[in-house]
Amino acid sequence: MTSKQATVASFVESAPPGELSNVVADIKALASSETQSLEPAFKKYNEEQYTTVKLPGGSETVLVSKYNSLGDTRYFDTASQTSFDVDHASQKASNPQQHPLDSRNADLIRSLQKSFSTATAEHFPASTIGVFPAESDSAIAILLVASKYSPQNFWNGRWRSTYLLDPLSKSLQGTIKVDVHYYEDGNVRMNTTKKVEIGSGASSADAVVREIAKAENKYQEELNRAFTALAEGSFKGLRRQLPVTRQRVEWEKISGYRLGQDVAGGRQR
Amino acid sequence: MADPFDAALDLLRRLPPSSTQKNLNGIISLRPELEEDLLSSVDVALTSRRCTKSGRDYLCCDYNRDGDSYRSPWSNEFEPPIEPEDAADLIPHGRVRRMEESLNAGFDVYRELYYEGGISSAYLWALDEGFAGVVLFKKTSSAGGSAGKGGWDSIHVLEVNESATKRSAHYKLTSTVILDLGMSSAAVDSLELAGNLTRQTQQDLPLSGLRDAEVEQGHMINIGRMVEDMETRMRNLLQEVYFGKAKDVVGDLRSIQPLSEAERDRAAHKEAISKMNRG
Repeated sequence: MTSKQATVASFVESAPPGELSNVVADIKALASSETQSLEPAFKKYNEEQYTTVKLPGGSETVLVSKYNSLGDTRYFDTASQTSFDVDHASQKASNPQQHPLDSRNADLIRSLQKSFSTATAEHFPASTIGVFPAESDSAIAILLVASKYSPQNFWNGRWRSTYLLDPLSKSLQGTIKVDVHYYEDGNVRMNTTKKVEIGSGASSADAVVREIAKAENKYQEELNRAFTALAEGSFKGLRRQLPVTRQRVEWEKISGYRLGQDVAGGRQR
Repeated sequence: MADPFDAALDLLRRLPPSSTQKNLNGIISLRPELEEDLLSSVDVALTSRRCTKSGRDYLCCDYNRDGDSYRSPWSNEFEPPIEPEDAADLIPHGRVRRMEESLNAGFDVYRELYYEGGISSAYLWALDEGFAGVVLFKKTSSAGGSAGKGGWDSIHVLEVNESATKRSAHYKLTSTVILDLGMSSAAVDSLELAGNLTRQTQQDLPLSGLRDAEVEQGHMINIGRMVEDMETRMRNLLQEVYFGKAKDVVGDLRSIQPLSEAERDRAAHKEAISKMNRG
């Protein structure tokens, strides 16, 4: 990869949710010759962001990830037992074929699919889930992606949950990632990551799914508290709303102050 | 096909603001001819230097730069020194320098009152019918741990058009605040909020007095007030966007309260309201 290819690939990789096409249009205007080399970057983006595609001939949406990759550009879906091709540049699925679920944990995967689907509908107004065999069929990957796009209001957001369940030890661990972009007359990006360890114990699909919902609720509450902590901690410590005198500066009198040294008790820099 | 410069600005508004410098360098490597225009249009976090003559810190930007040298607003000299012919063009004197000194002194007090620390600098240059300038502030906080760390950079670019009557002048202000906040704790592994917002305003403001010193004082007062008003507005806006909007979007993505419960609450609420209206 040349350094120009690496540069445009990194632009794709860090594109905000819902704005990949804008980023690609900008890349085309800056370096149209480099757009040919973006196929691997698109694939990486789609697999990391759990991009959703509509299954051809149906209405189901399926997410794309490394866990349901069959190699090259082919992926499978456990719920509909189909495999399909994905064109990573256009994010479109094609060429569906039957793909029966082949796993020693097939029953658990199917019940997790059902339970997780019901449980996530309770918390996510819109989301796509995926339950797939993982780690050479020794574990089960439970994935969720929820995106909300509001470009007319200049914001977009995406929540991604990734959990790995070990059916033998019953241990459940995962990561939650939230990415929000606000861009009205500016550019503000929020990124948060949280590793989740739910330990062991949950044996049935329903129990696993309940533990996940509990962990996600707890995390979301902590996140809301963290926003407040930042607002009252480092944000306040940067610039006060008003001087300690509780009054705005009297600019006519400002030359009377001695060059800021004696104001508010003086300060070491 | 879109104009490359516009595409570059659009791209920088979409990519993570914490990597603006890196992405700016990347775009310049793709389109070297855009370098000068991009460097003067894109706001990045400010760097500072210590003025060897006065011992005070000052902020660096394109407007006080010549090559690798920067002009200190305290000593009014370039460090490292530059060619005398260039210095003659770039170093302000007379009226512009007097106003620049008075703005730096005024904003030094303002900085202490609002930022309780940090660094401020102002640089002015003459225009045909007035003058222009930039006012900069930088503050970092590293309370650390779960209170987090942060950085605030203000970049105010102003243009003042003076009328022949000297009774008033027209002031244009474009202000950008770059705000980075981050924290990590046991409960939230990592939370990063980074970005910048830009606002513009323009006003006709009065000037009293006819003597030069009075007019210069008038400009300082008008500019001081305008910058203070703008920063106060932007601080409130940033608070709203960073802590209000970002939090709201997370709430839109996922609801802690089960949605069926929320729906039942809403229906019960509607029922109660309509009963009140009927009764």
